[in-house]
Amino acid sequence: MSDLAIPASIKVHAPPPELERPPLVLNQRGLGWLSDHIAGVAEGKTPMWWWIAFVPSALMLAIGVICVTYLISTGVGVWGLHHPIMWAWDITNFVFWIGIGHAGTLISAILFLLRQRWRTSINRAAEAMTIFAVMCAGLFPLIHVGRAWFDWWMLPFPNSNGPIWPQFRSPLQWDVFAVSTYFTVSALFWYMGLIPDLAVMRDRSKNKIRKFLYGLFALGWVGSNRHWSNYEKAYLLLAGLSTPLVLSVHSIVSFDFAVSQLPGWHSTIFPPYFVAGAIFSGFGMVLTLLLPLRKFCHLEEVITVRHVDLMCKVTLATGSIVGYAYSMEFFIAYYGGNPYELAAFIQRATGPYWWAYWTMVTCNVILPQLFWFKKVRSNMLVVFILSITVNIGMWFERFVIIATTLAREFMPSNWGYFIPTWVDIFTFVGPFGLFLTCFLLFIRFLPVLAISEVKGVTPQADPHHPLGGAKIGGHH
Amino acid sequence: MSSHTESSTFGSLELARWRQLPTWLMAGGGLLALIGAAVDLQRFGYAWLLAFMFFLSLCLGALFLVILHHLFDAMWTVPLRRFVEHIACLAPVMLALFLPILVLAPKLYPWMTIDPETDHALHAKHQFLNAPLWYVRVFVLFGIWTWLAYGLRKWSLKQDETGAAECTYKMRRYSAGGIFLFAVTLTMAAIDWMKSLEHQWYSTMYGVYYFAASVWTTLATVYLITVVLKHAGPLRYVARERQFHDTGVLLFAFTVFYAYIHFSQYFLIWNAALPEETYWYVKRETGSWWDIGMIIVFGHFVLPFLTLLRIDAKLNLRVMVPICVWAWLMHFCDLSYNIMPVRHAAGFPAQWLWLDLACLAFFGGVLAKAFLKSFNAHPPYPQRDPRFAETMEVYLPPASSGRQASAHGGAK
Repeated sequence: MSDLAIPASIKVHAPPPELERPPLVLNQRGLGWLSDHIAGVAEGKTPMWWWIAFVPSALMLAIGVICVTYLISTGVGVWGLHHPIMWAWDITNFVFWIGIGHAGTLISAILFLLRQRWRTSINRAAEAMTIFAVMCAGLFPLIHVGRAWFDWWMLPFPNSNGPIWPQFRSPLQWDVFAVSTYFTVSALFWYMGLIPDLAVMRDRSKNKIRKFLYGLFALGWVGSNRHWSNYEKAYLLLAGLSTPLVLSVHSIVSFDFAVSQLPGWHSTIFPPYFVAGAIFSGFGMVLTLLLPLRKFCHLEEVITVRHVDLMCKVTLATGSIVGYAYSMEFFIAYYGGNPYELAAFIQRATGPYWWAYWTMVTCNVILPQLFWFKKVRSNMLVVFILSITVNIGMWFERFVIIATTLAREFMPSNWGYFIPTWVDIFTFVGPFGLFLTCFLLFIRFLPVLAISEVKGVTPQADPHHPLGGAKIGGHH
Repeated sequence: MSSHTESSTFGSLELARWRQLPTWLMAGGGLLALIGAAVDLQRFGYAWLLAFMFFLSLCLGALFLVILHHLFDAMWTVPLRRFVEHIACLAPVMLALFLPILVLAPKLYPWMTIDPETDHALHAKHQFLNAPLWYVRVFVLFGIWTWLAYGLRKWSLKQDETGAAECTYKMRRYSAGGIFLFAVTLTMAAIDWMKSLEHQWYSTMYGVYYFAASVWTTLATVYLITVVLKHAGPLRYVARERQFHDTGVLLFAFTVFYAYIHFSQYFLIWNAALPEETYWYVKRETGSWWDIGMIIVFGHFVLPFLTLLRIDAKLNLRVMVPICVWAWLMHFCDLSYNIMPVRHAAGFPAQWLWLDLACLAFFGGVLAKAFLKSFNAHPPYPQRDPRFAETMEVYLPPASSGRQASAHGGAK
């Protein structure tokens, strides 16, 4: 199959000015400017704003370490868990962080396969965010088992205790494989994408130690034709492999609940609903991180209003899908005719946790509808605030699903109410410290944007474009 | 050049050998369907329902693709959008074809003849699932689909004349509200017309399940129609490799998505093992329904998945044309798996296949005629869509430099 030349009888009209797509890099910046500007974020003197952000983050991390140490040395009784609510903030936090970890791979893999060129300005930071979020997520299953020193029992390997094998029929066991695979592939994907940029950092380094370390991790990259050819192929393959992973991880997390018979948990829509929610929360966090980043690092010409606009649209779409799932759960609870199912949902909306339910609905379904308006999508402050409400809403969604369902079991004598202890609260705060500390270190030491990929979407990089072939924009 | 002149330049769809095919399908299918109705009216009703749900998939799938095009501000779908709009605009014809189901509903839907006081599952949802409201919903659903499809096409055609940005904004507004309406109405249709055949059963996934299958079948149909229109002439120059490749990629994506959705539904019901849910699948594992289930597993997923996995397969018509036709067959099996066990609990009713095919042929003939009428009355693709230059890979100077529609020097 080949394309035919377009005959003169077919007129091709230019789009009306208001519908022209804004460029992905503003002001026709050249390739050299991009290298200088992006690599510059990780070079030179550490800016004051970085310290202002880093110190409290590291403190939060320290608090988290203290809490986890106290928890492991004392037992999970220090949390507010009690019958019937034996899962509460621990698994809420796990699902919350895993969800956040979805945006990175979505942007790097699925948007890559869909040839969405705008992803190049945000994929690096989003992938980093993914890895740090999965690290935070992985912490909770490890510590919530009570006897963390037996965590290795979850791994299937020959042993002399019987032998004792993991329960492969449990979705909790599937989580072990899903999350560890996801972390491994995401880290690999992130690192591979970094290689050309690490070489740029190596070549720009004036400090010998930095030059050595960047050089070591750049694996001898020289940007030859062969290097690029292998790189592109490997990137495509990893993107293909990562795509089912994005879907599978949160589907398996949803199985933790949906395979049960508990009203409020057993729902066939859970897998896609959880995946949509994960992407929604992931994009919420990407916006929360990137909006200050673009301002403090002066990246407005590379992470443009168009990028933010598109991210808002993804957030809106996934938030609406989540809204569909909420409605469908409620409707089928009625339609199915199971009184316990219906009672579970009525309890969610009107019972003692009504405030959590309506916070969830407001933050995840109602407020994101503001993204229909271009004025909202163009106002960075409003987008930032809405992105935080998305984070809040998605944490509450997991809390509503997990804790409020357990709080109202079949018999009223089996009802309860969860009240967090100070250890719950600070175990919740600690991972934010870990996440932000890692992210800030990433900003400081690695190229925060994919330099080579951003260059690839400029008109200068396209020989067919009238502006192509580096006709503008200065040196490389 | 005005759109009228451009339209005449392209000419009408001339496929001389096949021109009479819709008429033959209508006549042959209609005659056999009438015989079927005379032999067994209820069985005819189920065959008609199956054919209806099959072609409703195409109508709704097309509406979804048009809405998606505007919401995503897509460019590669521009050359295909017009005929997809025409498919979506078949909604009123579908309403006319729904009339036999309206009449036969009490014979097809057991809940319509059950006293809710004697049936808990029905009693629990009687405020929603009752005959008057069911009839009202039919007209509401068709009203919404017709309004959306015609609204979108109206502005699309207007843009052929004016090229105005306002048309794009209007279509985006339709799509913005439309996507919500679409989600709700498709779900209601799937519940009312298929799921309620066994009113005791429920699944929150069911709307998504019908959606995934519908879009999958629509994409296969879009691919086939694009092949025909490219070879017949109207889209000769504008349907390019990109359109075929990307439609193929989307078909591949929906192959996986459908499997994911159906597997999730099955797996969660199987694992929880609640009798009020499992009975639906238990019934479909009885007799030859088990074989149909296996055909769906391997034919709806494994075969197209492996076939479409290669990047170059999407451009190979020797691969794609058979796989798209196969998709129709699989969708038929899937719908039969959903609908027919109500009447044929013992297994797939091979002895009634002729009636199912007759109804499908009749629907195909009627809808093809309506489609061709629309297609021949309008330009074959959006003439002045703002993304047309982009999809044709024609570079035009930016607006600020005084934009005159330029020639094709920049074209690849």
